[in-house]
Amino acid sequence: MDIFLQACVNGLMIGGFYSLMGMGQNVIFGVMKIINFCHGEMLMVGMYLSYVFYEYLGIDPYFSLPLVALVMFIAGAVFQHTLITPSLGTKSFTNLLFLTVGMGILLTNGAQVIFSSDYRTITTDYSSTILSIGPITVALSRVVSFCALIAVSIALAFFLKCTKTGKKIRAVSQNPIGAQVVGIDTKKIYMITYGLGAALAGISGALLTLFYVINPTAGSNFGFRALIVVVVGGLGSISGAFFAGIFLGLLETLVSLFIGPSLRTLVVFATFIVILVIRQNIILRRK
Amino acid sequence: MSNIIEVENISKSFEGLKAVSNVSFYVEEGKITGMIGPNGAGKSTTFNMICGYYPPTSGLIKYKGNDITGKRAYEFADMGIARTFQIMKPLGNLSVLDNVASSAFFGRHKAKNMRQAREIAAEILEFTGLISKRNVLAREMGTPDQKRLEMARALATKPDMLFLDEVMAGLNPTETEGAIDLIRRINSGGVTIFLIEHIMRAVVSLCEKVIVLHHGEKIAEGTPNQVMNDSYVMEVYLGDGGAN
Amino acid sequence: MKKKILYILLFALLAVMLILPEYIAKMPYILNVFILAFYMTTMSMAWNLLGGMTGQNSIGHACFMGIGAYTSAICIVNFGLNPWVSLPIAIIVTALITAVVFSQCFILRGPYFTLVTIAFAEAVRQIILNWDFAGKAIGIGLPYVRGNSWLMFSFRDRTIYYYVAFAMMIDVYLVMKYIDNSKLGFALKTIREDEDVAAAIGIRPLKYKVIAVVISASVSAIAGFFYACYYRYIDPNIMLQSSSVEIVLPAIIGGSAFVEGPLVGGILMVSLSEYLRNTFGGILPGINLILYAIVLIVVIRFRPTGILGFFDRRGRE
Repeated sequence: MDIFLQACVNGLMIGGFYSLMGMGQNVIFGVMKIINFCHGEMLMVGMYLSYVFYEYLGIDPYFSLPLVALVMFIAGAVFQHTLITPSLGTKSFTNLLFLTVGMGILLTNGAQVIFSSDYRTITTDYSSTILSIGPITVALSRVVSFCALIAVSIALAFFLKCTKTGKKIRAVSQNPIGAQVVGIDTKKIYMITYGLGAALAGISGALLTLFYVINPTAGSNFGFRALIVVVVGGLGSISGAFFAGIFLGLLETLVSLFIGPSLRTLVVFATFIVILVIRQNIILRRK
Repeated sequence: MSNIIEVENISKSFEGLKAVSNVSFYVEEGKITGMIGPNGAGKSTTFNMICGYYPPTSGLIKYKGNDITGKRAYEFADMGIARTFQIMKPLGNLSVLDNVASSAFFGRHKAKNMRQAREIAAEILEFTGLISKRNVLAREMGTPDQKRLEMARALATKPDMLFLDEVMAGLNPTETEGAIDLIRRINSGGVTIFLIEHIMRAVVSLCEKVIVLHHGEKIAEGTPNQVMNDSYVMEVYLGDGGAN
Repeated sequence: MKKKILYILLFALLAVMLILPEYIAKMPYILNVFILAFYMTTMSMAWNLLGGMTGQNSIGHACFMGIGAYTSAICIVNFGLNPWVSLPIAIIVTALITAVVFSQCFILRGPYFTLVTIAFAEAVRQIILNWDFAGKAIGIGLPYVRGNSWLMFSFRDRTIYYYVAFAMMIDVYLVMKYIDNSKLGFALKTIREDEDVAAAIGIRPLKYKVIAVVISASVSAIAGFFYACYYRYIDPNIMLQSSSVEIVLPAIIGGSAFVEGPLVGGILMVSLSEYLRNTFGGILPGINLILYAIVLIVVIRFRPTGILGFFDRRGRE
């Protein structure tokens, strides 16, 4: 029972990251209808940014969070404006897909050239603090990060629901032409959206640094899972992404516990395929 | 004259919303039949059901006496039914010639090889007046030519029955004349035509029979003149449609 | 006139390629680069049938190749079969698996299809990783044979692999060229442009998409067989997503709308990338992939139809 509870807590913690990654991917997918294939790599960049701020400027990872988010936002917006937006015009899904694939390769290997493929970690004076609640133990940093994740998620939901820009983003994602007709500058929204997605990935990365090794391929695990979260949680649904992420985290840890860690990925991916196919069949049947 | 298409009481609901209810009519072989109605009258839905794009919720569709209600869209070409799309769907990255050649490979021509397919395609482009643009990429053409291409592609399947979905929308008067002339020539070649159209002038000059839909129901049927003078049609269709 | 010059050039190139091993036989590294380039180009052409011609973007082709390689290796090592018996078995197994899985998955369109290919590839890799019979993470090593043996498909003389790979690439190219101008090719291209139109003119999209994926996977399986016999060792890493991505890049860079796209992109990029890896790999690991990515991004940004798009005359008349 204790092991079970511990697994649940672990699943919850990792699921939070899947959720936040999924939300970023969801906003991008919703607005531009493209898979952002370098989402995991953007997380990795966030990790390194956090690392640089800590290592060279001595800023605590939690305090550098806004900085990381800002840098990622700007970088994302620039990438969107200079490369993705022009390619959106060609309506070639293949090109858009591989544009982000190319960006991912560039980021991974760029990081490898700059930082080498060594594993790096950030050690603060609180990183070895462990909290124990009854039989369950959790590192303090994980708890803090998880709370931060929740806060960011709520802030994002609020932003999309209540602010003018958020409403514009939702309008564009529902009907880009209609949005253009009522005077929304779609190109600007694209920039903001992609910047937002990049910032969310960056925040996820920065929050991971305290208990996860930093290396150029650290993001690849999260990239595809973010996509699973988007598809299972439902396009355009922030709460859907949130619960799908938590569910995925729990599923992974519980499969590890009951079936074995080596079969974890297999079960998750096979389940994903089956869910996709069954759901599409239901959609088609309804037509 | 026999009826090539018979539609019996078809209805279609989308998630509880009734788009078409209990529509019945028939299309006589060798003639041009039109369907008109205000926006949202259910014309396109009816059209799509008959073409097998989606099945009706209830009702029966017969082609040459055989029930075709549950048939899938890709089975229609072999039976000799072809259609155009209201929102033009050119095969954008293929040349105009290849757009049509693709139909010649399938449909009922069943071209054996590339040369034969392109020969058939060239013939049809000649007929539809697109031959001078045969090497242009389909996506780089203007609306009038893309509308023509829709017809050429449908024609290349060698149909007995051709469904045209607003092939004259967005054309200027001269281009409309050209399209009317083309449809007439297709018809005189023995192809039965069923068309949806907003441009009344075209409907009046082409169709021998017109069906009027409103709110998903058939409200009138007859020659263009009969229909145009029907008081109910005038009220619902021309009354609120204004200059339409 | 222009065409004639092109043909002469092509024949000259072909002749150069055929006598080249005479001169580079003593340089195993360069020979290896060529063999790798031929192999990658073959894979890229296989991808292009499904991706470029049919418009179904797969990021799982390394897995088709992996199934082929693993089936061959298991047949040769575990069952002691002759390679020439193993090859058709590998093709059939790969074709069957893809036909069964993708006849279900093709109802998914666009990005969703891409996601399924990724998940499928990773799932297969995980199965291999957990499967004792297939050597788990350690992989399978193929036995070496003394000297050159066509019967055992194992050669000490690497130039033979060069010719085999070259022949494989040219044959696959000819097959693809044939498909491009055939009824099948037209069906696939029509599906790529618009599935509704395809159905309206009598093409059953699902049927042709399955045909495309089965041919594509079978070609990948042949390439996988070659890979296993050439390197004489395979492990689950050959099926990594990054390998799948690398397979696609030559096609996109060369121009995925053209049958020749992967050929141009593959020969150009693989040789360039390998050269960089060799020259700078020690100091700056990953530099070749950075260049790859930059070329990819630049091509997509400024010439969306790929390098061959420069020479495409259609639509400019």
